[in-house]
Amino acid sequence: MGNFFSSMFDRLWGVNKELRILILGLDGAGKTTILYRLQIGEVVTTKPTIGFNVETLSYKNLKLNVWDLGGQTSIRPYWRCYYADTAAVIFVVDSTDKDRMATAAKELHLMLQEEELQDSALLVFANKQDQPGALTASEVSKELNLVELKDRSWSIVASSAVKGEGITEGLDWLIDVVKEEQL
Amino acid sequence: MSTHTYKKFENAGSGDLPDRMTIYQDCMSEFNESPVNPKRCRLLISRLLRLLAEGETFPENEATALFFSISKLFQHPNDSLRQSVYLAIKALSSISEDVLMATSSIMKDVQNGSDLVKPNAIRALTTVLDESTAFSAERLLKSAVVNKHPSISSAALTSSYHLLPIAEATAKRFVNETQEAVMDLKPFPHRNVVGDYYPNSTFITQYHALGLLYQLKKSDKMALLKLIRQFSDNNTLKSQLAKVGLVKLVSELVTRDAQLFSSFQPLLNNWLSNKYESVQLETAKLITNFAIQHPHLVSAELHASAVTTLQSLLTVPRVSARFAALRILNRVSMVSPEKIVVCNPELESLINDPNRNISTYAITTLLKTGTESNISSLISTITKFIHEVSDDFKIIIVDAIRTLSINFPQEWMAILNFLIDVLKNGEGGLKFKNNIVEALIDMVSFVPQAKDLALENLCDFIEDCEFNEILVRILHLLGKEGPSTATPSLYVRHIYNRVVLENSIIRSAAVVALSKFALTKNDPTLGESIVSLLRRIANDQDDEVRDRATIALKFIESAKKEENPEAREFVQSRYSYDLPSLESKLSSYISSNADSFQTPFDVTNIRKYTEDEAKAIELKKKQEQLLKGHLENGSESTPGLEEGSKGEKRDSSYAGPSLDEHQEDLRSTKYAEELLSMEQIKEFGPLVNSSRTIDLTDPEAEFVVRGVKHLFNNHAVLQFNITNTLTDIALDNVTVTCTPENPSESSLEELFSLSIDRLSPSQEAACYVAYNKSEEIVMEGFLNNLTFTTRELDPETQQPLDDTEGFQDEFDIDSIFLNAGDYIKSSFVGDFTNAFDELPNEEVAVYNIKENITLQELVDRLVVNTSCLPLESTQYAPSDSSSHTVKLFGKSALKGEKIALVVKLIKTSKGIAMKAQGRSEDATLCSYLVNGLM
Repeated sequence: MGNFFSSMFDRLWGVNKELRILILGLDGAGKTTILYRLQIGEVVTTKPTIGFNVETLSYKNLKLNVWDLGGQTSIRPYWRCYYADTAAVIFVVDSTDKDRMATAAKELHLMLQEEELQDSALLVFANKQDQPGALTASEVSKELNLVELKDRSWSIVASSAVKGEGITEGLDWLIDVVKEEQL
Repeated sequence: MSTHTYKKFENAGSGDLPDRMTIYQDCMSEFNESPVNPKRCRLLISRLLRLLAEGETFPENEATALFFSISKLFQHPNDSLRQSVYLAIKALSSISEDVLMATSSIMKDVQNGSDLVKPNAIRALTTVLDESTAFSAERLLKSAVVNKHPSISSAALTSSYHLLPIAEATAKRFVNETQEAVMDLKPFPHRNVVGDYYPNSTFITQYHALGLLYQLKKSDKMALLKLIRQFSDNNTLKSQLAKVGLVKLVSELVTRDAQLFSSFQPLLNNWLSNKYESVQLETAKLITNFAIQHPHLVSAELHASAVTTLQSLLTVPRVSARFAALRILNRVSMVSPEKIVVCNPELESLINDPNRNISTYAITTLLKTGTESNISSLISTITKFIHEVSDDFKIIIVDAIRTLSINFPQEWMAILNFLIDVLKNGEGGLKFKNNIVEALIDMVSFVPQAKDLALENLCDFIEDCEFNEILVRILHLLGKEGPSTATPSLYVRHIYNRVVLENSIIRSAAVVALSKFALTKNDPTLGESIVSLLRRIANDQDDEVRDRATIALKFIESAKKEENPEAREFVQSRYSYDLPSLESKLSSYISSNADSFQTPFDVTNIRKYTEDEAKAIELKKKQEQLLKGHLENGSESTPGLEEGSKGEKRDSSYAGPSLDEHQEDLRSTKYAEELLSMEQIKEFGPLVNSSRTIDLTDPEAEFVVRGVKHLFNNHAVLQFNITNTLTDIALDNVTVTCTPENPSESSLEELFSLSIDRLSPSQEAACYVAYNKSEEIVMEGFLNNLTFTTRELDPETQQPLDDTEGFQDEFDIDSIFLNAGDYIKSSFVGDFTNAFDELPNEEVAVYNIKENITLQELVDRLVVNTSCLPLESTQYAPSDSSSHTVKLFGKSALKGEKIALVVKLIKTSKGIAMKAQGRSEDATLCSYLVNGLM
């Protein structure tokens, strides 16, 4: 019974609703670092993710269920197993890795065609801005051909997970959009 | 909604298996829910696990889908849910694809999870790792191994064990951590709990660590020795199991290298008085097992104290300890019953043990240690008790009695009465009855005095027997043995009763048995009656019965009228074929069907055995089985205890498991086939006899050579099997040169020798040297020399390097002797003393053997050298007595003359005195054999 009331209140105030967010991107883009930056606010030493990491974090009265999926070629085919009920996708790009920009673009567009992701918002992090020779956000946006995206709220934010720049800004935007569109 | 869902789980306790599809659907919907409900998920996983545990399985795509949905449960931090998730991952990892997707999440738990889930996570980790991902878990596992928490450390150790076949290289790097884990005492519970709920910690981590350490170092003998030294002194090992593990480690080492045993003796002696029963048991087992294989390496005191330890364990309250001690003693009793006679009082009190396993074992052991004097009283004890035990134990007891019938033919009356009693009165299934009948058949074949009575009782038994298989066997036996008894007509009546009363299978068997009586000599009038009976049967309603009767009538008729030996042979065959070779010949005949079976199958190449020879072979096999069957379950490779392979195995104590008889049979058949397939040798006519293989080199030599002697009527062929154990050298033109020891006197004339063109690494091939010889018995020794050209091989292509010419080389191998024993085939006779007295020519020789060998070793050597069959179980020399008499019986391979030997041995401090007395139909053979024993 108590369960019933609390879920009533939850629905009333919009709290405790869990949002599923996926962090995707090529290997070495900084997905796991961003996840733990969000959760514990620190930079952790990471190693290539074989599989996925999942963390639950509270952000602005919202419970976020954040999934960081490994980006290695062998693991990418399994991304689709985790698409269901996704509110938003965070796509992380290594801005210094000009050679693989095309690959990143391909994976991004392939993913967005999926039926299950039609309603989810997209946030792109042009990551590793602290490194010399990093492309700017607009350059990355051009490389990824983001302008082509129709019927979808998307945004690109320049970020540096190591320094903690741009992450909160990006997430703020994402939460606003999701709140507006899906709650 | 929730009430509804829970209702579905109501019948979970009812014991029915939940439906596979329902579970699948429920799991898929529940696990993909957001947010997840940990309680319901846990319940669902437990049902899924139950399904899998009951043997239900999912197709790969469904298993994979399940795996992915379960992986989503990682989002919930609940520890109990996490534990069930790990169990599910472990269960699904073998049937699902792409399990590596859980790797990162599991590793995170191994690193940061609570102590509760860490062990589960570690165990699940190994199931998802593969060779390429294992290295990333290396650091995690290493730190888990040295973790202070015993559960975590144990989980990491056992998981590393399972990691070995997946990623050996990774696991091999854990040596230091594992070593540390053995030394480090990790009490359970990890932290001090208020109150003393857990009184003693088992320190099980030590056991796990020791097991892994052994796996990591098992190929390095020195490292293992160091390990034992390190952990055996002071109180490093607290865990009982780890100590037992250490004893097993010693056992493993001494099996590999028997010479190490003496250095372990003080340690073992110490362990015999360890405070743990299991350590005592394991040590006693090691000592007695080792003593069976290498009697001279174990000091008498150590063996005696092992037996004393076991003796005291027979009276402890713990059932399992009593049972284990008894089992070890039982094994000792198979080989050297005299050593455990001291335990007889304890054993006798165990006959009435409430635990049936123990009482049965006690009886069978007593039957072994028993002497002729107390056997009949033992048997009467068993008779009182056998009807109360289950079939399995009855079978064990009957088997033990069967052994007795072979070992103590004198006690046949008591044994026979016992068998008849259980056969008639005992309830029991097919297997049990079959064993009794088998024991009776043994008695009929090997104990002539018991024959009539046993046959009569079998006749009574078949009047009321429900098992077709047994009936058919008995009918066959009656047909075989009946005609030669004093009153064959008695059996005819019983057999004919079967024809009247039973089904067609038994009727046909009975017809065959009946027909064998037609030509019996004891009662000429019987022939007529049989024919008239068969005529009547020829109208039977069953085809098979009619056919057999008609064909039997035809044979009998032609056998009588024309004195046709072939027909006589069909009715009552006096020999049987060597079945393994017949089988292999027939199957090759069928598979190489070149001219659609136009050429008939040629049966002349297959060895024939006369009845006595067949019995000899059977008896030998039985004696070997008795030992083997009971020994092999304890020690993995018990190198030839049975006299059969002892001769060839003695020097190669760890040459691998001994060949079983069937292979042995096939091997000799194979030799004969190989020989006769060679044009030059084919001309020599049929093969008369082949010797056992003899080691001519050290089994560890670069080239291992084993010799076989083949005899033909006018020729002798020496076969040398050469194995090239080198890895990168091939041998070209391999020949063996044989020089007679006394070239001037030699009556053998070398005909030709066949060489091997090329012997590649780790290949085995044979050289032959053929000699002309007179029909007489010729004995000769040969000095042998192996010559060859070595060619170095290209390691990649395994082809010889072209630029090297190769070196001419020689290799000395041991001499080979053609002696009197090679002219003899072992043979069986029921009444040895009578047979010995009847033989005309006697020869006596006395030997004085200075070598320091035991009586048993000498007996073994005698058996091998004479190729005779030891009778009346004289092949076992008692180890507590200084004298022994061996009775040997054989037949000349050339002409079939019987030969019997009585060899008396007396051991003194100066050596062994041996007096051999031989009698034979062939005076020359007898004198050669008696004078050439050593």
